[in-house]
Amino acid sequence: MSAPPTVSDPLAEKIRALTEEDLRTILAVFREKLRAEDAAYLNTCVHCGLCAESCHYHLATGEPEAMPAAKLDLVSRVFKSHFFRTGKALAGLVGAEKLSRELVGEWIDSLFGRCTLCGRCTLSCTMGINIFSLIRAARSALAAVGLVPPGLQSTVDTAIRTGNNMGVSKENWLETVAWLEEEARAELGDPTVRFPIDKRGARILYTINPREAMFFPLSISAAGKIFHAAGEDWTFSSENFDVTNYGLYNGDDEAAGIMSGRLVRAVEELGCRELILAECGHGFNSNRWEAPEWLDRAYGFPVRSILELVAGYVRDGRVRLDPSLNPKRHTLHDPCNLVRLGGIVEEQRFILKRAVRDFVEMIPNREKNFCCGGGGGQLAMTNFAKRRLETGKIKADQIRAAKAEVVVTPCHNCIDQLMELNKHYRLGIEIKTVCEVAAEALVFETRPSAGLPG
Amino acid sequence: MMTTLRYGVFAAAAASLGLLSFLVLRTLTFGRRRLHSQARGNRAGGVAYAFGRGMMPWEKESARKHLPTYAAGMIYHAGIFAAILYALLLAASVSPDGAVLAVFRALMAAGFAFGAGLLLKRILKPAMRYLSCPDDYLSNVLVDLFVLSGLLASFLRAAVPVFFALAVLTFLYMPLGKIRHCFFFFYSRILFGSYFGRRGVLPHPPRRGA
Repeated sequence: MSAPPTVSDPLAEKIRALTEEDLRTILAVFREKLRAEDAAYLNTCVHCGLCAESCHYHLATGEPEAMPAAKLDLVSRVFKSHFFRTGKALAGLVGAEKLSRELVGEWIDSLFGRCTLCGRCTLSCTMGINIFSLIRAARSALAAVGLVPPGLQSTVDTAIRTGNNMGVSKENWLETVAWLEEEARAELGDPTVRFPIDKRGARILYTINPREAMFFPLSISAAGKIFHAAGEDWTFSSENFDVTNYGLYNGDDEAAGIMSGRLVRAVEELGCRELILAECGHGFNSNRWEAPEWLDRAYGFPVRSILELVAGYVRDGRVRLDPSLNPKRHTLHDPCNLVRLGGIVEEQRFILKRAVRDFVEMIPNREKNFCCGGGGGQLAMTNFAKRRLETGKIKADQIRAAKAEVVVTPCHNCIDQLMELNKHYRLGIEIKTVCEVAAEALVFETRPSAGLPG
Repeated sequence: MMTTLRYGVFAAAAASLGLLSFLVLRTLTFGRRRLHSQARGNRAGGVAYAFGRGMMPWEKESARKHLPTYAAGMIYHAGIFAAILYALLLAASVSPDGAVLAVFRALMAAGFAFGAGLLLKRILKPAMRYLSCPDDYLSNVLVDLFVLSGLLASFLRAAVPVFFALAVLTFLYMPLGKIRHCFFFFYSRILFGSYFGRRGVLPHPPRRGA
């Protein structure tokens, strides 16, 4: 059953240097993360193998190690050996295995390197085992002894140190917002357009993925234009604007709590009534569903995706969209964390069907959609980049089959992966967020003149 | 001898039930997850989905893509439940006959055939061998023999002691290996439905082309 570990170099030396104390720490943290639900799941798998084709890693590579049940087995072997023993005599019979350096190597290689925590296998599992949450618990245990692939860990470290995962300075952030506000005013020919910062008592606090500030400012201005069109009372925070939370992926709950706690603090300090999360799949799952658990508290305000908000604007007639302004064929990629794990399934469709003339679904879609391959921290873990691109073939094939010119996705992490797939598999597509597409279809009293930046 | 075996069947079944219940209770020592986030959907609806529509091939991709295996599994389990019930009835000196006996025989025959088929699949397919530990084979062999002995016992009175002995073995092995999923399946499906129901992912309205 055991395959030789093929751990990439960055962590190989660390694994060799693991002490018995380190192994005990891994076990202790793993045990601490497990709850009754997890213990039940870990007693349930029957190795039926029916989950195999639900995983894009297994589909793309055919590797048996990539079968979700095989990845789960790496975790359950340790569970059976250390935390749910049925007697020494039966250990070998039921596949129990003590944690060792070799097994730690396999954990890193498979649980970090062969899983995007997309949750697709759980839907396919005959038993309904929440495999991704068990893999995340194992990642947490590895994080406790510094065994997170360096690229992913440095993303978390940067966010903890600087307040956002790209290390965008406050000065740059404020300059970017001011510039985008100016551009939007020029484009819309409306001097009343405002991109407020730290506006006390604003109804909503809006967040962004820092990649938007660095590389995709159109996403920010698209949201700002929609807010303007809807007459929304909104604000950014000058300090706490990062919707991302790579603590979800490295498994470090403490770091994850610090990151999400900043947004909660910003809402409370500014006296906003609602936290609106930008188009970011894992940012949504983190801040909407997981963060209250990391922080061990309920919030006194709702947390919603901007898609819910914009769909509401359209439904209530607060913004008008003209689909003829987006005549190309569009398709939609459903980010796993937002859709399958987040519950935001129809809002993006509601918006797009009113914002574009020709909308076609990918098959499969919604909660059954395939991961783009960039989730789970894969984009940050450069040591697994080759696998990431290889497994992205499943998504590339889906896109080709849709025969669309524009792929829309409400997630900047997915956008990065789709951009790489576009290049690698020569897909020849444009890639946009939902708000970007909706902003292009906005109908104002006086339509902005063409050709101006924005 | 027969009396001992009869009592043995009931004792083993009771022991199995007790141990399986203990295992389920033991998971609670890990503590329940405390949820603070606001629910978006409906847990009960999710659980109903998990045991209903969510098990259907048109809904579950794995079942759809592996329809023969999925169907074999269903029939296998029907055969196992039939054999368990038949063992308990015979041990209670109740001998089904006529149409009822025919149904038992049909279910046990089909259950054995498909169980053996699944065992062969596990042995022959490299991916399945990769995934399997000794318990996967042992559980399957033990249960197949139990179901087969039930079928034989329905024709041959002489096979009844063997059927009872295998029933005792199967009941006693249930909590030790993967057969414990007979309890944990329900536990996990409830958790699955609660998780996706609470988040508003499932159940979704029926749609086409997804």
